[in-house]
Amino acid sequence: MSLFLAELKRSWIQLSRYASEVIGGVVGTTIIFYGLFLSTRYIAGPGFQFGDRLDGIIVGYVLWALMLFILGDIAGGLQQEARTGTLEQLFLSSYSAPVVFLMRAFASLLLNLIINLSILALIMVLTGSQLSFPPTLFPPLLTVLLGAYGISFAMGSLALILKQVQQLLNVFQFALLFLFTLPVETWTGSLRVIGWILPMAPGAGLMRDVMARGLDLNWQTWLIALLNGICYFSLGIFLFRWSEKTAKRQGKLSGY
Amino acid sequence: MLILEASHLQKNYRSQGKTVAAVRDVSLNIAEKEVLAFLGPNGAGKTTSIKMIAGLILPDAGQVRIVGRDPHRDACARRSIGAVLEGNRNVYWRLTPEENLTYFGVLRGLSQRTAHQRAKTLLERFELTEKRRSLVQTLSRGMQQKLAIAVALIHDPQLLLLDEPTLGLDVEATQSVKRLVREIAAEGRAILLTTHQLDIAEELSDRVAIINGGEVVVEEPTTELIRQFSNAAYTIELEHALDSVRLDKISRLDVVIKHEKIYVNQLKLVYEILEIVRPLPFVQVVKDQASLEEIFLKLVQENRMKC
Ligand SMILES: Nc1ncnc2c1ncn2[C@@H]1O[C@H](COP(=O)(O)OP(=O)(O)OP(=O)(O)O)[C@@H](O)[C@H]1O
Ligand SMILES: [Mg+2]
Repeated sequence: MSLFLAELKRSWIQLSRYASEVIGGVVGTTIIFYGLFLSTRYIAGPGFQFGDRLDGIIVGYVLWALMLFILGDIAGGLQQEARTGTLEQLFLSSYSAPVVFLMRAFASLLLNLIINLSILALIMVLTGSQLSFPPTLFPPLLTVLLGAYGISFAMGSLALILKQVQQLLNVFQFALLFLFTLPVETWTGSLRVIGWILPMAPGAGLMRDVMARGLDLNWQTWLIALLNGICYFSLGIFLFRWSEKTAKRQGKLSGY
Repeated sequence: MLILEASHLQKNYRSQGKTVAAVRDVSLNIAEKEVLAFLGPNGAGKTTSIKMIAGLILPDAGQVRIVGRDPHRDACARRSIGAVLEGNRNVYWRLTPEENLTYFGVLRGLSQRTAHQRAKTLLERFELTEKRRSLVQTLSRGMQQKLAIAVALIHDPQLLLLDEPTLGLDVEATQSVKRLVREIAAEGRAILLTTHQLDIAEELSDRVAIINGGEVVVEEPTTELIRQFSNAAYTIELEHALDSVRLDKISRLDVVIKHEKIYVNQLKLVYEILEIVRPLPFVQVVKDQASLEEIFLKLVQENRMKC
């Protein structure tokens, strides 16, 4: 618990001290979306109505932004600390490395959520979208977060072993954007099963249902989403432990 | 009491299909209050050994025990280790010294309150109180290094590992790091330090281990090592050059004379000469001491010839 508070304080200090970077991130993310929005409207012609579609895309986009922040915290943080040399100090802690990084991630989650809400608010104002915020959005959000942490730990593992993963992370971000905007919830047949297996996709689909389409939460699908989240989360932690061992064997914890 | 027991550590790295034997056989013991200087040329395997001891690199063979516990198996053992690693920042540059100390205190298992108190004490002791609210990136190199040592001590570990703690520091900062190392050892901690500045090792260490090509080639108490390598040679320095009569007498003995200095290689000759020069004033009679630097070069070169 005191580790959590210490991490909270640390991320808060770093965030507030570098507020300009954060604001830059918020504005940048928003502008990119607005650009996409305007150009789509331009191509589609002035009479085009987005309707639910737009709301769905906004949900996907904001989730994607959240995912990027989490990814940056865990995988990006790991990479940066390996470069500057603080990483090895973390591994000297009597807390295990996954615990330290999870605490970090949880601590910054709160801050990330706030940042994300401001992005969402900005986008809503700019595009005139009307999303609803029923309390049923939280259970699927939880499953998305589980998946996001899992994927981030998996990428963190890569960072730990390969060190130079910036290029990979960049490409990966676009794959994620694609993933978050896939309308998996409307898929049928065997595609549907794929939609269940893709990381975070079922949770994101449910969020679009409740926030953009105003549907009730389908608890059955939610169970699938939860299972999906738990699987990816466990996979991420497992990979992370494995890569920690490998890095210790190869003497590569620091940026050798 | 032995704080560190490392026996027969061995590590091979595989890189690009080739195997590098970084550490072949390293055994080190350090007791409390003891400073062991770990010396060796570049690439000898010092950092690899230190990281194996810290639990950051898994040895291929051998054992590490810190206060009886294995840091690779037992997370508790890591509580007894503090480390400042080579060429690293070791601390967060975007935080202040105070924030760093408190954060790492909690990370190393202290409560927030204890961490804060310890931070205050350490800041004072390391003369960083004035700078406790400045960002680390704005501090001088010496202060950053002092902070790194303070952070390594925040949880009061029994073993302190310092990999080149004086690298890149100016004379004054080196001096204060030396003083701190001495104090920290006196508190009852065991210190393992590597350095390429042999005068520092000579001044600070109780024992020296020299590693070359991944193997410890000597391990002895520092004074013992220096004594062994010192020739039984003496220099008598007079205030003025000798007059011709005395010069003649002394020249007949097995000595070398250069102006006011007489070099002698037997103790009994020293007395004979002193008899002859009486009552002329002399400046000093000294026994030649090998410096650690000469010993080091000798050992490392000998070893190179063997291969
Ligand atoms: N992670 C690694 N992968 C492959 N080889 C490595 C790795 N780390 C070190 N080495 C090699 O192992 C040998 C020992 O390196 P080490 O860093 O332990 O030496 P050192 O005694 O600390 O040297 P220096 O005085 O330069 O700091 C060197 O030949 C080095 O190139
Ligand atoms: Mg080294």
